[in-house]
Amino acid sequence: MSEALQPRPIRSLKDFPSEHLLAGGTPMCAGCGGLQVLHEVNDVLGANTVFVNAAGCMTLLASYPYTPFRGSWLYTSMASAPAGAQGVRDALDILIARKRLAPEEDLRAVVLTGDGSAYGMGLSATSAAIERGLDFLYLCYDNEGYGNTGQQASGATPHGARTATSTRGHGGAKKDLFAIWAAHRPAYAATVIGSEPLDLAKKVQKAAALKGPRLILALAPCPPGWDFDARDTVEIGRLAVKTGLWPLREYENGRIAHTRVPHPRVPVEEYLARQGRFRHLFEPRRDEEAIAAIQAEVDAYWRAIG
Amino acid sequence: MSRELLTGNAAAAWGARLADVDYVPAFPITPQTEIIETLARWYEGGEAPGRLVMLESEHSMVTAAAAAAATGVRVFSATSSQGLLYAMEMIYAVPGWRAPFVLVNVSRALATPITLEPDHSDVLAARDSGFLQIHCATCQEVLDSILIAYRLAEHARVRLPAIVNLDGFYLSFTREPVKIPAAAEARAFLPPFAPGEVEFRASKPVSRAVAALGSSPYSYFRYQTHLAALEALGAYEEVARDFERRFGRWHPAVECYRSEDAEVAFLMIGAFSTKARDAVDRLREKGVAAGLVRPRLLRPFPQAALRSALLGRRAVAVVDQNLSMGSGGVLAGELASALYGCRGAPMIARFVGGLGGRDITAEEFEAMATEARAAAETGEAPAPRLLYTAAELREVRKLQAIALAGPREAGGRS
Amino acid sequence: MFRVRFHGRGGQGAKTASQILSSALFLEGFEVQDAPRYGAERRGAAMFAYVRAARAPIQERGVIARPDLVVAIDDTLATMPAAAVLQGVAQDTVVLIQSAEPAEAWRPRLNAPCELLVLAPPPGAAAQAEAPFGGVRCAGAAARLLGVVGRASLERALEAELAGLGERLIEQNRVHALAGFDALAPHAGRVRGDAPRAAEAPPDWIAVPLDDAAIAAPDIHATGTSAASPTGLWRVLRPVIDYEHCKRCVWVCGTYCPDSAIRAGEDGRPNIDYDHCKGCMVCVTVCPPHAIHAVPEREAA
Repeated sequence: MSEALQPRPIRSLKDFPSEHLLAGGTPMCAGCGGLQVLHEVNDVLGANTVFVNAAGCMTLLASYPYTPFRGSWLYTSMASAPAGAQGVRDALDILIARKRLAPEEDLRAVVLTGDGSAYGMGLSATSAAIERGLDFLYLCYDNEGYGNTGQQASGATPHGARTATSTRGHGGAKKDLFAIWAAHRPAYAATVIGSEPLDLAKKVQKAAALKGPRLILALAPCPPGWDFDARDTVEIGRLAVKTGLWPLREYENGRIAHTRVPHPRVPVEEYLARQGRFRHLFEPRRDEEAIAAIQAEVDAYWRAIG
Repeated sequence: MSRELLTGNAAAAWGARLADVDYVPAFPITPQTEIIETLARWYEGGEAPGRLVMLESEHSMVTAAAAAAATGVRVFSATSSQGLLYAMEMIYAVPGWRAPFVLVNVSRALATPITLEPDHSDVLAARDSGFLQIHCATCQEVLDSILIAYRLAEHARVRLPAIVNLDGFYLSFTREPVKIPAAAEARAFLPPFAPGEVEFRASKPVSRAVAALGSSPYSYFRYQTHLAALEALGAYEEVARDFERRFGRWHPAVECYRSEDAEVAFLMIGAFSTKARDAVDRLREKGVAAGLVRPRLLRPFPQAALRSALLGRRAVAVVDQNLSMGSGGVLAGELASALYGCRGAPMIARFVGGLGGRDITAEEFEAMATEARAAAETGEAPAPRLLYTAAELREVRKLQAIALAGPREAGGRS
Repeated sequence: MFRVRFHGRGGQGAKTASQILSSALFLEGFEVQDAPRYGAERRGAAMFAYVRAARAPIQERGVIARPDLVVAIDDTLATMPAAAVLQGVAQDTVVLIQSAEPAEAWRPRLNAPCELLVLAPPPGAAAQAEAPFGGVRCAGAAARLLGVVGRASLERALEAELAGLGERLIEQNRVHALAGFDALAPHAGRVRGDAPRAAEAPPDWIAVPLDDAAIAAPDIHATGTSAASPTGLWRVLRPVIDYEHCKRCVWVCGTYCPDSAIRAGEDGRPNIDYDHCKGCMVCVTVCPPHAIHAVPEREAA
């Protein structure tokens, strides 16, 4: 494998490789926050990976005969990608233990999933994989809805967001997948975002050096789904962090630590106002109550963590 | 080599053990659970070198099985009924991965209503999936068929997963004498797994089971799986002959019992087919030229062998222990399709029975033969018959009377 | 039967145009059938929508193999092989391209036997591709070309199909649709349905061969083959680096680019891979010295 494909440690933004592992030409939308994360993560992990995909937007990354991967990929189903990772991991372990495969042929199993599967249909398989102590990485690109089918509401949709099935604003609340993972006491869990590549790289490197079930949960700003111009993907990602709406945190050894504490926090409405999916909170009239409620929830979160 | 008394489940476990399987993703369901418990005990006790992992659902279990097979190890798993149905998305998806493995199905009737006893509706729901299907009538066949299934599934011109089916209760929990081959002989028949191009390793990156958007490539891949399944017809002959040579037991794709000169033949699969053999013998004693044609291989569908066995018979009584709602018995339809347009095609009399483990009595076999022969005389195909007696209906009415009575007051008075 | 195809990029209103035309024909008493067709690609990528209309119930289905009228809402698609604008076009097919360039400029480029017409974009539109009303203009133009849709039906169809947009937008759309309708007045009725069908050759059936399992599964053993997919064709805007102000901090633009479309050259200069750049403009927003500029694709090309 060429030197360009071997991952080098990333300590500053300058260490990001110029030659990227994930090839271009994929059918993901222009400005896809999820693709941004995947290509950053791929550079950190290197090519000795097998991405085990749960049905979602990224199902179409590999469409015969086109694949962007220089490592491996296995498409499974919407509900059972962690079980696919289990099969691959166990088989590799058996082959290496029985000397039917050289250890340098080993691969890292990485589940690649959207929020639709991660927060919903795939929860059972995910929970069980963690419970079995499966040695795998779980990379979730969370665009807060069933993106591939046109942005219907999912378990990850935040309260008040317009989706294709909640045209007046989602009545439910976003599930806390990070907390669900943490309750399982995995080897590691972290939230990341593509607009904070250094924070992401440090967390992925840390996860890569551990064994066991490890979550990398990435908020993925979605131009068509959230209704904003593709060029704003990074800015919206930065606002998600600066408002405190998307806390950047890690779980390790029973403890949760935040890698960024935005202070002072930007008012949430600056984030909301940039996205068409929240337009009804501002037009035809400002819904002060709704905006204040969202702000209050964010404030409560940061107050609670002290 | 002496024979031991083994249940069908124990025979299945022995088949997996003798096949030197590497990996068993498992999930319990009546009536197969004994299979995985036996394997777990052997593996934990060091009696066999495999690895068993409990998954949390059959859908995940089949995913893990195929993923491990696609990585390059020999995989075994087992399920039944509702579990097979829960896995059905993956049952249909994984044959296209072209990673071979063996799944034992201990057939059990399907909800609704939920039950535990056997019929074939579950395994037949998988018939279009691309999995090969072998159906067993005895516990010996169960053990033997697993070894045969691995050779067949892993055959270079096939490379498809295979289901080996045994009836719940009548085989799974029934002990019969079984010859257990010596490990060395089994290994000589079934060499270690060769993954070929289907594996995951760092030096050979591959994107597997990818999307195909475009009807022509999609159709190509689907046709290839079908053609590979058809290839298993010839491969089965090869494998079964080798098995006979080594172990002295002949397991044809289609068993023909006294059918070569039969006027009327039963067509059945599974454990109750031995009852049909019994019925054939009694009919012959009474001077009726009866026979039994029993497919063991159901996918691929052994059309040529069935034509060879049945063309020239006057009548065939198809006994389906399954029911396609709104249509009828599956085997009857498939047989009629196979014989259509052929000279000498027999009259087909269709019977559905044995659902939920319902017994099919000796008298019923004789009556079915009579109806089939009578139809051959008149030349008119009879309406399909759902096997059911007046006594059974009376029994159900009694149960209904209880179930449909008004609510009972507390204290037991109605 | 009229067989019409509208070609556009996702988001340009090709589907809406087809639905407006279809509804208008329906109001005129025709039996109709309309449907969009997308590939795997997203917003910005080429797609098409089709309409069939006849006096009798329509039995044909699926994509139109032999269109009577092809409309390209975005002229950048006209010469893009992937967009297949000329698929099935024959001598008597009318091809209408919405373009600021005249038909004479297009004839040699298309080099296809067909009747070529051009619909000029609204005056003052910065770039026709960005004009949100290009689709309805084309719907109006198509209606006039068929010669069987009257003004009133066109307006009613538009109101029905755009009902959710609100009064103001509907009115703007109506103005544009009628402008297209009027612009094609000199060619009213030029599209005839039911062109005589040429004798087709019998199907070239084969017995599908059994291939080795190693190639008969949807597995891609080559790596990075998506590079052969020209997603650069999605672009409506192109990022252009001003190297005089570029600070060579390629770890910024190259990292934030979701499509791995910025790489450092030999001299450390970031180079944009225009074969794959989708024109999201994220690099423009993150460049610290603001050295990347957005340029309309048709200017840059």
